[in-house]
Parts: sequence; structure tokens; C-alpha cells
Amino acid sequence: MLALSQNFIFTVLALTTFILLLLTFLTPGTPLIAFTLAIFTLFFDVLTFSTKYYASFFVPFLKMKNRNLVMESEEPFIMAPSGDAIVIRREGEVYASAFIRIPTYRSATEMSQEEKVDFSRLFSRALTLTKRPMKFGAQLYVINKDAYINNIRNKLNEAEDRYQNAMISKDISKEASERIRGEVTMWHNLYDSVSKVNSHALEAFAMTTSSGGNDEEAITLALQQADEIAAGISSIFGVTASIAQGEELLRFIEPDYMIPLVTVSEEMRGKATLEER
Amino acid sequence: MYLGFSSMVALLVIINASSFGGLGFVATVLAIMTIAMTLIINYADFVLFPLVTMVLGIKIIAAKNCYIPKNSNCIIKYVNGIYYATGFLTANVYNYIFEAEGVDESEDQKLGEAPDKWERIVMNIDFPFRYNIITASQDIQVYRDELEGKRGVMEVQLSREMGNSTPNQLTIQELEKKMNILDARIERLSTGERPVNSMMYIETTAVGVSEKEAVDALANQLNHLQTLFNSFDLSITRVIGREIYYLFTFNYSLPDVGTLTRIFSIQK
Repeated sequence: MLALSQNFIFTVLALTTFILLLLTFLTPGTPLIAFTLAIFTLFFDVLTFSTKYYASFFVPFLKMKNRNLVMESEEPFIMAPSGDAIVIRREGEVYASAFIRIPTYRSATEMSQEEKVDFSRLFSRALTLTKRPMKFGAQLYVINKDAYINNIRNKLNEAEDRYQNAMISKDISKEASERIRGEVTMWHNLYDSVSKVNSHALEAFAMTTSSGGNDEEAITLALQQADEIAAGISSIFGVTASIAQGEELLRFIEPDYMIPLVTVSEEMRGKATLEER
Repeated sequence: MYLGFSSMVALLVIINASSFGGLGFVATVLAIMTIAMTLIINYADFVLFPLVTMVLGIKIIAAKNCYIPKNSNCIIKYVNGIYYATGFLTANVYNYIFEAEGVDESEDQKLGEAPDKWERIVMNIDFPFRYNIITASQDIQVYRDELEGKRGVMEVQLSREMGNSTPNQLTIQELEKKMNILDARIERLSTGERPVNSMMYIETTAVGVSEKEAVDALANQLNHLQTLFNSFDLSITRVIGREIYYLFTFNYSLPDVGTLTRIFSIQK
């Protein structure tokens, strides 16, 4: 598909508007034709102006089916083979983005007034690290407790099995049976409290993007820039900034990694049960 | 450029209206409506775009499994049977960091309060959110020349006012204050700080087993964020319309400075 840039669409529409306008002046003896041409001129005039904001929606709008305006039907990105960058192909260009973890968290309660002012000024300085656009972010995300919840669920199941066996068995003493029942209750309460409430963590990051002729070139340039930014941030804040990889990287991008599935499902199952009651 | 071109075309149609015979008046009215339409698109497209998508029932597919519903107020990802609805708020913290509008003591106080306020906000939020700043630093020399040019103009105005037989004290004070602000900015450039173009926004995601549940939860989360961030003295507005799509793409790749300027008004 030919990638149509905003400038190209604007040029085509502006030329059309201009030609139609010219024709209205060149048809003085035929007012009806001139008027019709003027209507079309004004229509194309509005279209030309709207390319300022809506150029990228034009072609998808023309190809729209069933009121679905498809900007992109593929995944928004693919992961680089090394797992430390993502590759985006858009409008015929190849871009790669890399993310830098910034492990700086010092509570304001630990800082003096001077240190707080210094921290704010350091933050300002970090924002001017590079001339290229760069994104700084701080995100509060849901901690992935899937493995922990699964572990507790397994322990609960084991305890319940032992309790079932204890109930059937005639050899077990009353104290042993009570202990097993207590254990089942303990794992049940722990499972309820851990799985019903989300736990959150705060992390800071930076993001940079580079374009290239192909995937490898874009990835290499993005990682080079990311290294420079990581070095700059490390020297400004006195921390060890590093390039994010794998799932850590995905957490900065995708909502389903920022809010892990199993953790969310447990909470929603809990909500659904409460509503049923 | 856009507004100038469109207005010029409409004006030429009005000028030529006499050659349309009896329909000249209709052509003039339509030309005026065209100018009004371009002004609406330029200044209020956040009203126009959602109106068009609502009326026409258009759903925008931003990527695989991601779509912007017809009311254009969020973006939804459907995966593993769960709807993740993400909404955006714009924020502008230029008072704190990027602009030395005041050169009095309160600037340090504001900077000192910022980490405390930030922590208080985070402690009061119990859902996922992300605070983003996209920055691109400008050429120091170009910016310095701009500032020194403005300062030169003000010096001339000041000396003219002081040379008056009846100088206006208010005007003199106003000019001196503006010159102090420019001096402070030039001083900051001399110490190595770079001028920055920036754009700030906050995003949050809500989940639900249905689209409606996710979107309703998102609305609550966005209201909560607006309330909390108001303590920062920021102007916070919910993002609606075409900008949702662009903010979504910024999660994956950042545009160049030219595109950033074109899509949004960069906050300086």
C-alpha cells in the first residue's frame, strides 16, 4: 500500500481547490456552472484544511467497511530478537523503541527541603538530555502475584486433600484432625486476602525511538541512544539505569502486562461472587 | 498556513459572488460557513471529531485487538476475555520546572513541595496509572537569540518611557518585571540548562469483563486522578477525539519534533 504523507494529501487537495477556484473565475457568463464549481471549491477547501489534523484518517476512512475505520490491522509492534527493543512499522517507515529502567525511589520524607529542591532541579536537567524527543514516565502497576497465588492455591488444595483423607481415616486423632482443619482455614484466609486485593509498585522509566532503513539499523540506533540516556540519567541521579528487557519492557507498553491476567481474574471473580450474593 | 489558505479561498469565493447571479447570496453564506467550519476544526476538533464518530457510529481499529469506541473517549484492548480500557488526561506542570515566570523566592518553595505532593498523590491511588512527559530540547543559540531580541525591544521601550516628560510608573514597572524574567531565562541558559519543548499526559487503565464495565471503571479512575492532581495546581483535561489515537501510538514510538508540534500545541 502506498504510504500517503500528510504533505502529499494536502498538496493534492490544495491543487484541486485552486483549480476549481480558478474555473469559477473563468466561467463568467454561466452563473449556474460557476456556482456549482464554487460549492465544490468550498467543499475541497474544508477537506484541505482538515488535513492539518485528519490526514492520517483520510485513506482508512475511504476504505471503511461496516463502520470500522481500520488504521492498522496488525499488532502495533514486534519484539526485537534480543528482547531489549520493539520494532514498529508504520506508513512505510521502520522505527525501533528502547526503554530504560530508572531505579530511583527515595521518599520525600527522607529528604531535607534543600534536597527536595535539588531533586526537582535534577529532574529538570534530565529532561534536557537529548535533542531528540524522549519520554519520561512514572507508572504505578499491579504486581504480578500469579506465581505466589498459584503456590498458595496448591498448598490449599494439598491441605484440603489431607483434611478429606483425615475425615475418612479412622486412625487419626482429634487433635491431628483439628490441626489439619486449622491449616486449611489458614491457607484459605491467606488465599482470600492475597488474591482479592491488588498490590502495586511504582517505577520510573525513559523511552527513546529511532528510525532506520531496516529493523537491525533501527534497533541498533535505538539501543545506542538508550545507552547514552541511561548513562546520562545514571550520572544525574546517581543510580544505575539499565535497558529494560522481555516482560519488564512489555510492562511499560501493554496494559495486560501492567495488570497481569490471573491477578485481575481473581479480583473480578471475587467481585462477581459478591454481586451474586 | 492552513488557516490562511482556507480563509483566502473562501474570501475569493465571496469576492466572486456577483458572478453567480441570483445564487450569489447563497454562495456568500456557504463561504462564511466554510470559514466557520475551518475555525471549528482548528479550535474545537475535540468536539467535532467525537460528534462525527458518534453520529456515524464509527469505531476506529487502532491495532489488532485495540479499538477506539464511537464516543472516542478511550482506547480498549480486548485480550483473554478481558477488556482493558485506557483513558488519558493532559497535564501541564510548567509552573514547576520549565518556566521561570517568577523570579521570587516562591519558585524554590514550589519545587520543594513537588516531591511531597507527588508522593501524596501516589499513596491515594489504588489503580494502575502512568504519568508521561515527552520532551525535546531546543537549540540553545536559537532560543538565546530570541530572548535577547525580545529583551532588546523591551530596553528600547523602557528608555522611551523613561525619556517621556510624564513617564507612566506602572508601564515602567511592568517592563522591568518582564526584563527580569528574560534575564533569569538567559541566566539559566548560561548555566547550561536547555530550553525544552514538552508535552505531559497521564494515562490510566481499567479492566472489566464487558466493555461497559471497563469504560465505567475508567471514568471513575479518571475523575479520581483529576481530583488528586488538582492539588498540584495543574490544568487537567480529559483527552477526547483524534488525540486518543496519537497518544496510543506514543506508547510504542515517539514522533519527531515536527510531528509533535503539528499534532498538539507543545506546552513550553
